[in-house]
Amino acid sequence: MKKLIKNNLSIVLIAIVYITLFIVKTSLALTSVKNSGYYIKEMLMIMPVIFVLTALLDTWIDKKTIMKYLGKSSKSKGVILSFVLGSISAGPIYAAFPICVLLHKKGASIRNIIIILSSWAVIKVPMLINEVKFLGIQFMAVRWVLTIIAILIFSFIGDKIIKDEDLSVDKKFIDGKVSINTRACIGCGVCAKTYPSLFSVENKKAHLNKIDNIDDEQLNKAIDSCPVNALNK
Amino acid sequence: MDIFTLSIWIFTIIFVIVSLIKDKKKTFDSLKVALKMGKAMALSIFSVIFLIGLILAIIPPENIASFIEKQNPFIATIGSAILGTITLIPAFIAFPLVGTLVDASVNIVAAVAFLTTLTMVGIVTFPLEKKEFGLKFTITRNLLSFIFAILIALCMGVIL
Repeated sequence: MKKLIKNNLSIVLIAIVYITLFIVKTSLALTSVKNSGYYIKEMLMIMPVIFVLTALLDTWIDKKTIMKYLGKSSKSKGVILSFVLGSISAGPIYAAFPICVLLHKKGASIRNIIIILSSWAVIKVPMLINEVKFLGIQFMAVRWVLTIIAILIFSFIGDKIIKDEDLSVDKKFIDGKVSINTRACIGCGVCAKTYPSLFSVENKKAHLNKIDNIDDEQLNKAIDSCPVNALNK
Repeated sequence: MDIFTLSIWIFTIIFVIVSLIKDKKKTFDSLKVALKMGKAMALSIFSVIFLIGLILAIIPPENIASFIEKQNPFIATIGSAILGTITLIPAFIAFPLVGTLVDASVNIVAAVAFLTTLTMVGIVTFPLEKKEFGLKFTITRNLLSFIFAILIALCMGVIL
């Protein structure tokens, strides 16, 4: 129970705030719920499909392809593709998180990840159409050009600051050759299926079994198979 | 549902069908992984959503607008940029709001700073982003976005 609360601290806190608010100031609580309603609808419209898409891409697109088009050596081609991907997207910025984590796992560079996230947030096409309606085409065009320039610059800076290892390595669990990010791990068991003698699932998390000879090829396969990038070398 | 969301749905449905034809087992495994991913993220997303609902109830967007209108340009810009980072407002509310700000001849710099940080920088989504990408990535991305949001706003002020 204690662990359950700790793992879901944010939602527990928010539930407490809401309950208190309902008792103390019901009208404000009702407004909050009404406000949240819109976002829940927005989320339900996009997130299920995002998860399915991410999982399918993970299964069918191999690392080489992503590396070729979005990796470090993809240069300006990768940058343009990232802008396009972010711009034709839909949904709030957090909808981009699972896809970007996957792309990074498959070899996309930090720079391109930042570009996709940022253009997903501020310059996606549905948003631009709305902007023309309310602020005029000139306003939209100037902001669009400036934002693209800004994203080009700060994705470059971000790429210099952030290393690939910095992504999702909050908690490590090192056992010789491989580390498990227990926070990122969702206990899906794909690693255990790919390399059953080394990985198992314990307490809903990936667990390393003690074995004498680790088969590098199988290990790499297992690392690649993790849908949330929780395994690292 | 707008056309872009719809296209993602259609694309994904076709993808699922093609995937089923190619390999049934792999497809079902993928769908299972998708479900697990959804479960893992659901609680965090709900807490983000209910937090946004709460923040918007306490400081409604209209109040933010009237606050920005009253300040001098410098404070208005910094203030609106910071207010923008806290909340996450859908475009169909944000644009009319910024539209009224510009019409009310509030300086354009503050309005643009608000608009850009609104969508690109997120305090409420910070825990979620941190969980997915790690602390260093999240801090760097949000900080850089914030700085450049103000720079974009300043340039807009010069050009328009």
